[in-house]
Amino acid sequence: MDRRKFLKNSALASSLFFVPNFVKAFETVATEQLGYKRLVIVQLAGGNDGLNTIIPYNNDVYYNARPRLAISKDIIKLNDDLGFHPSLKPLRSLFDNGELSIINNVGYPNPVRSHFRSMDIWHTASGSDEYLQTGWLGRYLDQYGKKPYNAIELDEQLSLAMKGEHFNGIATNDYNVLYKTAQDPYFKNVINHYNDAHLSEHNLGYLYQTMIEATSSAKYIFEKTTVKSSNEDYPQNNFAKQLKNVAQFINSGLDTKVFYASLGGFDTHANQTNKQAKLLSQYADSVSAFVKDLKQNNTYENTLILTFSEFGRRVKQNAADGTDHGAANNVFVIGKNLKHAGVYNSLASLSNLDSNGDLKYSIDFRSIYATILTKWMNVSAEGIIPSQQKQLNFI
Amino acid sequence: MTATEIHHLYWRAGFGANPFVVNTLLKERVQVVDQLFEDSKAVTYLNIDLSFMDGITQKRLKDQPQLAQKIKKESRKKLENLNTAWIDRLVHPKELLREKMTLFWANHFVCKENHVVFAQKYNNTLRHYALGDFKAFVKAISKEAAMLKYLNGKHNRKRQPNENFARELMELFTLGEGRYSENDIKESARAFTGYNHDFNGNFKFRAKQHDENLKTFFGKTGNFSGDDIIDIILEEKQCATFISTKIYCHFVNPKPNLEHIEAMAEVFYKDYNIEQLMRFVFLSDWFYDKHNIGVKIKSPIEYIVGMANTIPMQFERPKDLLKIQKLLGQILLAPPNVAGWKEDKAWIDANTIMVRLKLPSVMLNNAMISLKEGDTNIKADLKRLYLKKNKGKLPFRIKADWHKFLSDFENISHHDLTTFIIQGAINKGTADYIETLNTSSKKEYCIQLMSLPEYQMC
Repeated sequence: MDRRKFLKNSALASSLFFVPNFVKAFETVATEQLGYKRLVIVQLAGGNDGLNTIIPYNNDVYYNARPRLAISKDIIKLNDDLGFHPSLKPLRSLFDNGELSIINNVGYPNPVRSHFRSMDIWHTASGSDEYLQTGWLGRYLDQYGKKPYNAIELDEQLSLAMKGEHFNGIATNDYNVLYKTAQDPYFKNVINHYNDAHLSEHNLGYLYQTMIEATSSAKYIFEKTTVKSSNEDYPQNNFAKQLKNVAQFINSGLDTKVFYASLGGFDTHANQTNKQAKLLSQYADSVSAFVKDLKQNNTYENTLILTFSEFGRRVKQNAADGTDHGAANNVFVIGKNLKHAGVYNSLASLSNLDSNGDLKYSIDFRSIYATILTKWMNVSAEGIIPSQQKQLNFI
Repeated sequence: MTATEIHHLYWRAGFGANPFVVNTLLKERVQVVDQLFEDSKAVTYLNIDLSFMDGITQKRLKDQPQLAQKIKKESRKKLENLNTAWIDRLVHPKELLREKMTLFWANHFVCKENHVVFAQKYNNTLRHYALGDFKAFVKAISKEAAMLKYLNGKHNRKRQPNENFARELMELFTLGEGRYSENDIKESARAFTGYNHDFNGNFKFRAKQHDENLKTFFGKTGNFSGDDIIDIILEEKQCATFISTKIYCHFVNPKPNLEHIEAMAEVFYKDYNIEQLMRFVFLSDWFYDKHNIGVKIKSPIEYIVGMANTIPMQFERPKDLLKIQKLLGQILLAPPNVAGWKEDKAWIDANTIMVRLKLPSVMLNNAMISLKEGDTNIKADLKRLYLKKNKGKLPFRIKADWHKFLSDFENISHHDLTTFIIQGAINKGTADYIETLNTSSKKEYCIQLMSLPEYQMC
C-alpha cells in the first residue's frame, strides 16, 4: 500500500469519520450543559376543536353557535366557566394536583387556516408571512445537540420541527429493526470508504449523511435502551405505543432532549362528536399511562409534556355536524413543577370574534416556546425563536 | 440522443430504460420524444373486478345494515387490489408517459377515498386527463364523487357553505398559498354549493342547494358557477407558473430554476395543454443538462417500479407489496393529507434510508449483499447458508426472475450495467470500494449497486 493511500484509509477508518464535521464542532458542549430536562411534544394533527375539549359550559353563545355539537352532558368542571370534555377524565387528577396547565387562546397574528401552512408555522416558529426551512427544535439542537438521537420522533418520518440547519433528529417507529439493518457489513464498508467534504450540500450528500447518522444513532439507541418494556398498562393504539417507547427511552436514561409523538385525525369537518370523543380518549388514556410510568421510574420530575394542534376550529358548527378550520386554540403543558397550573388564562370572548368567526388569540405560541427554552431547557431563545417574545410564567 | 440522455429521459418520463429501449432509441431527440407521446395517445383505464357491487342499491344498504357492513369490508379489500393493480400497471404500462403523469397528478389533485368504486373512477379521471386540457381537468376533479366526499364539497350548501374544497382548489390545485384572500375563499365556496353525486359516483347538481346570489371573486362580480370560478382562476398567469413550478421540480430538478419555469409557464398559459408543456420540457436542451441528471431522490413507487423494471419480480403475497410501500412511506391511494407527499428529501430520514438500502437484498437475494467474489471467508459462507435456510423467515415472499435479468443484460458489460442501474456519478470513495469487491457475477454486482445511496437517485 502506498503512503498516500495509507493516509487516506487510516483517516477514513478512524471513528471520527462517523461524526460529520459540523457535529464535531459541538463536542466541547458537555452533556452536563445539556442538563437532564426533557421535552415531550404531542401534536394533535388536523386541528383539534379546542372549544369542545375545554368547554365553556356556562356560555350561551357556545350553545347557540353549536346547536347539535355543543357538549352539555358529563362535563368535568374545572372552574366556574370551563370544563373537560368527558373523554379527558383520566387527566382530572393531573389537573387537581397542579400538574397540568391549560393555556387558552394560543395562536399568532394573521392566522392561516391551511393545515400544512399552519403546521409549518407551528413547527418553524415563523410568522404567518415568513417561510422558514428549519424547525424550532432543530435550531435548538443546531446549537445544543451533538447527536441525531438527541431528538427522537416516534414515527416513520421526521417532522419539520425536528430539522435544523445542520441537525436532523431521528425518526423511527421501531428502533430494533433500524439497528439490525444498520449492522450489515456492506453498509459499514461503504460508509468507511465514502469521502466527501461537502456533506449534505446536495441530495446525494444528504443521503450519505443520513445513512451515517442512522448507523451510529441506531447503535446508541439499541444498546442504551436497557429498560425493555414497561409494567404500566397502556391502551392498545399507535399513539400509546409511541408514548410507551418514549417512556422506555427516558427511563433508560438516553441522552435525548426532545421526543416527538403525534396523534392524527382531528380534522372533523363532518360528524365530529364521536370522532373527537374517541380521539380525546386515546389521548387522555395514553398520556395518563405515560405519566404514571414516568412517576414509577422517578423520571417525571425532569419531563415536560407540551400538547398543541395547528389551529382550533370555527366557533359556529357547520351543516355536516362538524366544524371548519379556525384560529386560536388551547395548549396543554403537563409537568411536575409548574408555576402556574390549572387554567392559566381565561377563554377569549365568544362574541368578539375575528372576521372569519374564529377565536382571537391572546398568547403567541412562540412565547410558549421561548418560555420553555429559557425556563425549562435553560438556554437563551435568541437565535432559536426568530421574533422577540415575552416570557410567560407557567414554569 | 446519447445513452445517458435516454436513461435520463426514461427515468423522468417513466421508470428507467432497459437494454432493449436504449438500443432501439439511439435516434434524434425529436423522434424519441414524439414516440413517447405517440405511445401515450390512447387511454387504457384501470379496471379491477368490482362485481361485488352488482345488484347493490342504496336502498338495500339502508335496509340491511349487515349487508352494508359486508360491502364496506369488501370495498376496503378491493382497495388493496386496486393499489397492487395500479403498481402492476406501472411496471407493465401500455402508455408509459401517461401512467407516469397519472402518478404525478395523483400527488397533485390529492384525494383519499375508501369506497373502491369512487376511488377507481377518480384514478381513471386522472389517467384520462393526464396529458390533456388542464382547465377541463380541474373542472372534472371538482365534480368527482371522491373529491366531493374528501373535501366536503357535498356538504357545501347554500345555507351553510363549506370552504374546504374552495380553499384547497386555490392553495394546492391551482395558485399556491397566499395568492387569494379569505374573502375569495368564502365567495368561491358559494359558487360550488349544490355539488353532489349519486350512488354510483356520477355528478349530480342539486339546484335547490345552490346559491344563486351574486358573488364577488378576484374583483369580478356575477352569479358565478363552480366552472366560472375555475375559469377565472385560470386567467391568472400565476396558475400556469404554479403548475410549471411543480412539474419542473418533479420532472427536471427539485431545485427550481426560475428562468426555465418562466419559459414553461409561457407555453402552458396559452391554452393549458399539458401535453404541449411536457413536450416543451422534454425537448429543451436544459432538460438534458448534466446538473439535472441523477439529482432527484426517487419516490418509493419510482424506487420499487424501477427495481422491478431491471429485475422482473413476482409478489407471492400481494400484502407484501403493501407492506413495502408502508415501510418506504408511500402507500398509493392513501396519501397523508390533501397536500400529498412532500417528495425528494422528505422521503429520506434515518429510518427510510436504511430500509431502502437493505430492501433490494432482502427482496431479491435472501438478504445477502456479497462482500467478496467467491468469498472464502467462513463467516460469510455461514451467513449465506444461514440466510438460505431461513428464507421462510424473510419478511417477503418474492420470486425474482434472475434468468430474465441475465438474458436482458447478456451483452452489457459491467461498466454499462452501472449506467443502467445508477443515474449520475457514484461517489469516488464508494466507487473505489466497489471496485475492490471485483465481482464477476452480474447478479451480485447488481445487488451491490442497488444497495447504495446512489441507487436512490434518478
